[in-house]
Parts: sequence; structure tokens; C-alpha cells
Amino acid sequence: MYGGRTLALDGISLDIMEGECVSIVGPSGSGKTTLLNIIGCLDAPTGGKVRVNGELVSSMGQRDLTRFRRENIGLIFQQYHMVPYLTVLENVMLAQYFHSTVDEEDAIRALESVGLGRRLDHVPAHLSGGEQQRACIARALINEPKILLADEPTGNLDQKNGDIVLDMIDGLHEEGHTVVMVTHNPSIWKRTGRVIEIVDGRVHGDKSSPLRTAPAAESADGTVAGKTEVVA
Amino acid sequence: MSMLPRVLRKSFSNRKSRIAIAIVAVMMGASIASALLTMSMGVTEKIGTEFRKFGSNIMLIPESNTIEIGLPGVSFGSVTEQSYINETDLYKIKRIAKWSSNVLGYAPFLYQVVTVTTPSQPLEVVLAGTYFDRPVPEIRDFTGNPWTTGIRKIAPYWEVQGAWVEDMNDRKGCIVGVAAAAKLGLEVGSLFGASYLNPETRNETTLDLEVSGLVATGGVEDSQVFVNMEVAQELTARDNKVHSVQVSAHCVDCPAEDIAIEIEKVLPDIEAKSVRQLVKAEEQMMMSLQQMMMLIAAVGLGASVLGVMTTMTTTVIERRREIGLMKSIGAENSRIASLFLGEAALTGLAGGLVGYVVGFILAQSIGVSVFNTTMEFIPVVLPFTVGVSMGVAVLASLIPIRRALGIEPAAVLRGD
Repeated sequence: MYGGRTLALDGISLDIMEGECVSIVGPSGSGKTTLLNIIGCLDAPTGGKVRVNGELVSSMGQRDLTRFRRENIGLIFQQYHMVPYLTVLENVMLAQYFHSTVDEEDAIRALESVGLGRRLDHVPAHLSGGEQQRACIARALINEPKILLADEPTGNLDQKNGDIVLDMIDGLHEEGHTVVMVTHNPSIWKRTGRVIEIVDGRVHGDKSSPLRTAPAAESADGTVAGKTEVVA
Repeated sequence: MSMLPRVLRKSFSNRKSRIAIAIVAVMMGASIASALLTMSMGVTEKIGTEFRKFGSNIMLIPESNTIEIGLPGVSFGSVTEQSYINETDLYKIKRIAKWSSNVLGYAPFLYQVVTVTTPSQPLEVVLAGTYFDRPVPEIRDFTGNPWTTGIRKIAPYWEVQGAWVEDMNDRKGCIVGVAAAAKLGLEVGSLFGASYLNPETRNETTLDLEVSGLVATGGVEDSQVFVNMEVAQELTARDNKVHSVQVSAHCVDCPAEDIAIEIEKVLPDIEAKSVRQLVKAEEQMMMSLQQMMMLIAAVGLGASVLGVMTTMTTTVIERRREIGLMKSIGAENSRIASLFLGEAALTGLAGGLVGYVVGFILAQSIGVSVFNTTMEFIPVVLPFTVGVSMGVAVLASLIPIRRALGIEPAAVLRGD
């Protein structure tokens, strides 16, 4: 709820299993980004329960939410959002610094893995949009999060760079990461295993493709490790 | 290089103009604080010394013994027995326990009324035996030579026309007050005889004296004649005896009363009295001066706080997106705060160092133009100025940092 009047999400109830690759689609203002932010612990719901990776994040305080986000979630933004006066390498190292300890070699390897090995000392303003988004992916992955959340990851990219980024995200899903993407681009959501459609803050449709959904491991007490459950 | 200094360095170089404004804001307050502290410490020291030029501030007199007189059962009051201070004990004044270095000098006095024969008629005048610049063998200065004391040390305001009397081996020379000289018709180089009638033996002794110099103080000294202490003691047969001692004590950071008490401890049969009026006036003036300087420094530092606070608030507003991003990728509030506090501390450090230099130059300028003296380098002012500047910068950043910590990452990242 924003400003005490508008309900961004209303009556949402869904589970996302570990290893799934999910698209959240819907028209502008439908609540897609709010849902992503709630899963990513950037926003807190005014009511309901949110459980991520087995932890009830909806009842956490700000400090615990920050810790949880740091340890479990990697974020990829449409606007890239990098610290403008730091180099690409330093931007990745900054995420390490906030997480635990800085390892420059690890940061270099992460950037090399997204094809930016020769751009380490460039500031973001000197990179193309595609390169910035790849740097953003390297930063999101540097602390080895289990869940990767991407908000319109190709929204500002041309077709070629968009495909490169999506191929990387596909690769991460193949490696076992849980990927949740917000998009309104049909060519993107067709690549994901599951599409959740949000309209006016409610789940309007939820289509799964068994071929692209990895099975969730169920524990003895019936809870699913890594499962993301939202009831808002 | 670890991450925090790396981020701080890049952040500083990216926002040079904003940082420069903050440094100037700190520097202005720091320079005022530095200048006034230098002045406060330096001038107070100098003013203390200047005050000493106006004379002694502790007077030693013998403890008075009163003798009750009367018939059995009927008292007729008391009389005071004439008492003296032993001259050979005087060096102990410079040997007091805690404040000995504050004793700048002392001068003993032995008074008697003598008769001077003038061409018209015999006239009575007070003859005082004293020290002019006397070596004290018991006390050594830092060069190993005997420390010297006397009127020339405790009363630098004496304006002597002619020459001073030599302390050692000058049994004829004397300094005559200008009023006495006028009354007796004396001038520098005049020879005259001074007769003393011993009240006990009824013997009259006459001294042949020569005027070495004339003194004008504007006080009672103008009506007196000053000779070497030995000359006066021999004339009056009061060997090793003095009536009073004037002590000049440097009292910037100690009350003169404490020195007086210490002197009474080493010279048990005397009463040491500080010249309270002078001391109080001196202390009050110094206190007022220091309070005024502290007030001005506080206003200057207050202005710095406002300047830094404004700059830091603007910085936080400009960097909302960056702060939101840092929070979104897992930065705890303590990390964000340490980043801004680090920037504030470095700003304070730079502003403090520059402010110290500017303040020192300012102090020199004020010192020369107002007090007609240069200010010495006082080591403690540098760390004090830098410390206060860093404190001011950090203090001024607390509210902006609180604002930064309240930034919601989701709101900032979606562009609200």
C-alpha cells in the first residue's frame, strides 16, 4: 500500500520453487516491480506473509532484511544502478565489501565471465548499456546468491545486447539459480519456464512449463527448501 | 588498499567542489579557534609577564607578636614588638615546593628615618636598604651561575635617571626618589651626609653618600633614598634583619594565595600576603579575555557546523540513488554511516590543518597590531585545532547521516 490509499498488490498467493525460472508480466502499474521488491526484501508488505528460502521475511526487521538480501539475493536492475565514480571492478568489489571480505581476484574472474575482462578499470559512464548490464550481473552473482531477481533486465538494451544478457540469465538458471524476472516483453517470458501475470495487483494467470521447471527438494517436515512463498 | 579508503578517495575526487566548500566551512571556524587559542595562551602569558612589570604581588612581613600590658585583672591593651625577617633565610622563597619557578624575584627592605643636612636646614627622609640586582649563591640558574634578584627584577617599571647602584662593594652609591631629591636639593653625582640616631644607644652615625641615580615611580618610592642592604644594616646595627620583602610571582595558572601559603611554609615566622586587589584584577582581566575568545571561537565553530551540515545535507540529497543502491546490494546502516563519517572526518582533518595555518597567521597579525608582539608556536594548538575540526565536521554530519540511513532503497531505485 502506498500513501495509505493505493493497494499495489491485493490477494496475491503464489509459490516459486527452488531452481525455477519465472517471469512476472503485466501492464505498467500492475504491481510487478512491487512483487519483485517484496521477494527481494527491498519492500515490506503491509499485510500477509512472505517466506523466502524457508525464512519468514515479512516479519523481519530492517537489519535482518538487509542481511537476508545480502546473503541470498542478487539484484539486476533495468537502469543498471552502479556507483558512477567507481570503476566496474570496484563496483563489484563494493558488493563483496558489504557482504563480507573483498577478494579482487574473484571480482576480476566474475567480470571476465561476463566478457568484461578488458573493461575492469572503466567507470560505468564509459561502458555501453549492454556492458553495464553485464557488470550488474557480475555484481549480482559475486556473493553467490541462491535467488536472482531481475527487473526488466533488457529494457534499455538493443536486441543483440538483450540476447547476450538473456543468454547469461539462462545460463545461471541452468546452473541452478532461482531466477525471477519482471518483464513486459513476450520474447523474454517465452524463454522462462513459468509466467505469472499480474493485473491490478492480483495474479491473473500462472502458466507453468514442466520442461523448464527444476524439481524442488522436499524435506521430512514437508517444507520446501529454497521455496519462495508470497501471500499478500 | 582496503575498500573504504578506496571509496572515500574516489568519492572525494569525484566531488571536489562540494568537498572544497565543506573544507572551507571547517577551515573558517578552525582558523578562528586556532588564532584565538594561540592568542589566549600566548597573550595571557605575555600579559602575566606585563603585569609583573607593575611590581610585586606578594608582601612578606614578620609575624607580629603582641604583648598584653596592664595591671592584674585590668588590661590596657597590647603593644606590638618590633620584629624582623632573617635575611639569610630569604633564598628559601625561591625554594618553595610547587610554584618555585613562578617566583620571578624578591627584594627585601629595611627602613629607617635619617637626617640629611641641607644648606638651609636638616631634613628627615626615609632611607631604605634593599637589593638592586643581587646574586643569591644558594640558587643557581640554568647556566649554573647564581640566580639574581632585587628591585631591578621585581620593579622593571622603575625609571632611573643616572646609574643603578652596584649591589656588591658599593657602599656609597644611592638611588634617590625624585621628590626627596627635589626637597634635599640633590641631583645625580651630588654628595651628601645622612645621620642616624640610634634610639637605644643614643649614638649618631653619619653616612657619606653619593647620588648614583634618581628614580620616579609615582609612588612612595619618590620620597625615599635607597642604598645597599648591608649599608642600611650597618647604619642601624640590625645585622641580618629586614623589615619586609616584596615578592613578584608569575600567576597565570596559579592563584597568588597558593604561592603565599607555600612561602609561609618555608619561612615559618612571616606572614605572606598576596596583593589581592592587583591579583584579582589581573585574574579577572585574563578570565574575561579568555571568555571573550572562547565565545568568538564558539561562534566561529558554530558557523562551521552549519556550513558543513548544509553541505552534507546537499550531498546526501545528491547521492540518494547511490545510497539506495548500496543498501539494495546489502550495505548495513553502519557501513553507510562509516562512509559518511569517514568523509566528514577527512573534511575536518583537511579543514583543521588549513585552519591551523590560517589561524597562526591571523594570530601573528592580531598579535602585532593589537598587542605589539608576535605569537610563539604553541605545539598543543595544532592537535587541538585538528581534533576540534574533526569533531565539528562529524557533529555537523550526524543529522545528514541520519537522513541518509532513512533512505528506502526500493523508493530510490524506482526513481521516487
